[in-house]
Amino acid sequence: MRLIARFALDNTEHFEIIDVFDKEIRRQKVDKQNPIVKSIMPKYPSAIWMERKIRDEFGIEFEGAFDKRPLVKHERFPKNIFPLRKDFDKKDVEFDEYKPYKYEEIEGDNVFVVPVGPIHAGIIEPGHFQFSQAGEEILHLEVRHYYKYRGIEKMVEGKKPLEIKKIVERISGNESIAYQIAFMDILAQASETEIPNSLKQKYYTLLELERIIHHLTDLGFIPNDAGFAPALAFMSKLSEDARRVMAKITGHRFGFGAIKEELSVDYETLVDFVNYLKKEVEFFEDWTDDIASLWDRFNTTGALSREKAIKYGVVGVGARASGIKIDVRDNVFYKNFGYKMQFGVKGEVGDRFKVRIKEVLNSIEMIKNFKTDKKEKYILNSFKDGEYMSFVESSIGELFMYMKIKNGAVERFYARDPSHINWQAFHTTIYKDIIADFPLINKSFDLSYAGNDL
Amino acid sequence: MLRFWEKRIKTGILTENPEFDKELEQIKKQIKDKIKKHFAGSLAIRMVDSGSCNACEAECNALSNPYYDLERLGIHFVASPRHADVMLLSGVMTMNMYHHAIDCYNQMPSPKWVIAVGDCVKDLGVFEKTYAIKGNDLKIDYFIPGCPPSPKDIIKGILEFLKNFE
Ligand code: SF4
Repeated sequence: MRLIARFALDNTEHFEIIDVFDKEIRRQKVDKQNPIVKSIMPKYPSAIWMERKIRDEFGIEFEGAFDKRPLVKHERFPKNIFPLRKDFDKKDVEFDEYKPYKYEEIEGDNVFVVPVGPIHAGIIEPGHFQFSQAGEEILHLEVRHYYKYRGIEKMVEGKKPLEIKKIVERISGNESIAYQIAFMDILAQASETEIPNSLKQKYYTLLELERIIHHLTDLGFIPNDAGFAPALAFMSKLSEDARRVMAKITGHRFGFGAIKEELSVDYETLVDFVNYLKKEVEFFEDWTDDIASLWDRFNTTGALSREKAIKYGVVGVGARASGIKIDVRDNVFYKNFGYKMQFGVKGEVGDRFKVRIKEVLNSIEMIKNFKTDKKEKYILNSFKDGEYMSFVESSIGELFMYMKIKNGAVERFYARDPSHINWQAFHTTIYKDIIADFPLINKSFDLSYAGNDL
Repeated sequence: MLRFWEKRIKTGILTENPEFDKELEQIKKQIKDKIKKHFAGSLAIRMVDSGSCNACEAECNALSNPYYDLERLGIHFVASPRHADVMLLSGVMTMNMYHHAIDCYNQMPSPKWVIAVGDCVKDLGVFEKTYAIKGNDLKIDYFIPGCPPSPKDIIKGILEFLKNFE
């Protein structure tokens, strides 16, 4: 079974832990006086961050957990507060005294540590990478995040569902459309209404456009980090073109606010653009295929084995490049519009690069097939109390969203960004590689920091 | 490879595309002159994300694409705060980033300036205060509004900021 998410709720009388797997959902009540539950870390390594987060935010202890360091509460963050508990409602907290974080490091003769971040050399989101090195060779890497932890799950609590839309669409700028679709799907469920098919086609059109923009950006950065700058010039031009098309059809370069109960998409502009884009991407594919020095860097670098990917429950391009069949779009609806899953073999940088090219070409086909001139809409009535879940394949991978509505207001909101899973498997891909390969490997996954941190 | 050169010749220089916005061309010319005069030909920017959604960074990254190509105007993003004249600051300033951002500012040589990018920095934009957000305490010298501001807005903003150097 694949672990999708493990998160907690405060139900006033007791806490509750919800485990979402691909085949079932498990729930367990946790006594508030003695909040201890069994850790699933040993069996599901990707539960590590989930449990450490629950521990920080709810003060629930995990029996048998081998990693009990704080995760979201950094050096100066007050340790004695449990902000996701219902009785915590402070908006301001004071900095605590500095408590150093103990990184996982390898010690030994001639082994040294290279700390990178949280502020990076380029224009990248903040996060920290702690490398244990023997010369150029990487022995170990610990990825540490939550520098961007904004407390969004608490921020939205108690508000009317529609009031939080603007916040939800800004959890991660790169996946805004995906977050909006998941959110609207939840609202439609709570409103007991169906999103009409023609409208779904329009939603998914924008989702594929968002994916195209994200992939194009990476397709430029990956070769660039291998020292091949012309690719970046070429692809950053195309991604800018695509972003301008997004602005033209949604009124916003990132499509913020685009997913609504009613939507019109200017398919004429879009189809012209994707026809042009197809030729350019095919040219790029041929061009980069011929450059042997590039493949010399791409092949055998940053390999994520199939076994590791399964063990960590990896999603998105990262999983598919390792030959794993995971994609929310793998369904009849999507297939009718030309969806074809794209695979790699060894999960190396080169596989992720190729999968991205193939996915862009597939998205182009789908956008053309999604074209519709039907004008349908749906109406969001009052929202029925209950628990709702949604899955969307964002450009980074499977996005999971949960919302509990109580008395017409958001009682609990939880989102598991695909990055939250993939970041944890990431450190397993760098062994045997040299530190100079790190940017390349990092870009080939291109994970979100904001989405992970929330 | 030959096909690439052929394509390159056919494409030409995008920043000189006649369709490209005249207004922006004018701004670029002005920026170039200002930087020459006040910053010995090059303005070094250190970008610091203090808790953004990443759209503001994506737009700053876009400034290097062939349409905008900020570098040819003498504006470039640097890897170290010690090389920077200006900090471009985005995000809500989380509790966890606060000290790192201040530290970065302290590492910059004087004189130095802070330009805020995006509504988040100013008043949290659509976000609201939580226990995890500290809010920005750095003195802002110039604010570029928008959620996110487009690359063009950012270029315009940098020019406006430079106007103070008359
Ligand atoms: S200002 Fe808007 S676009 Fe910029 S980081 Fe904040 S939410 Fe994102």
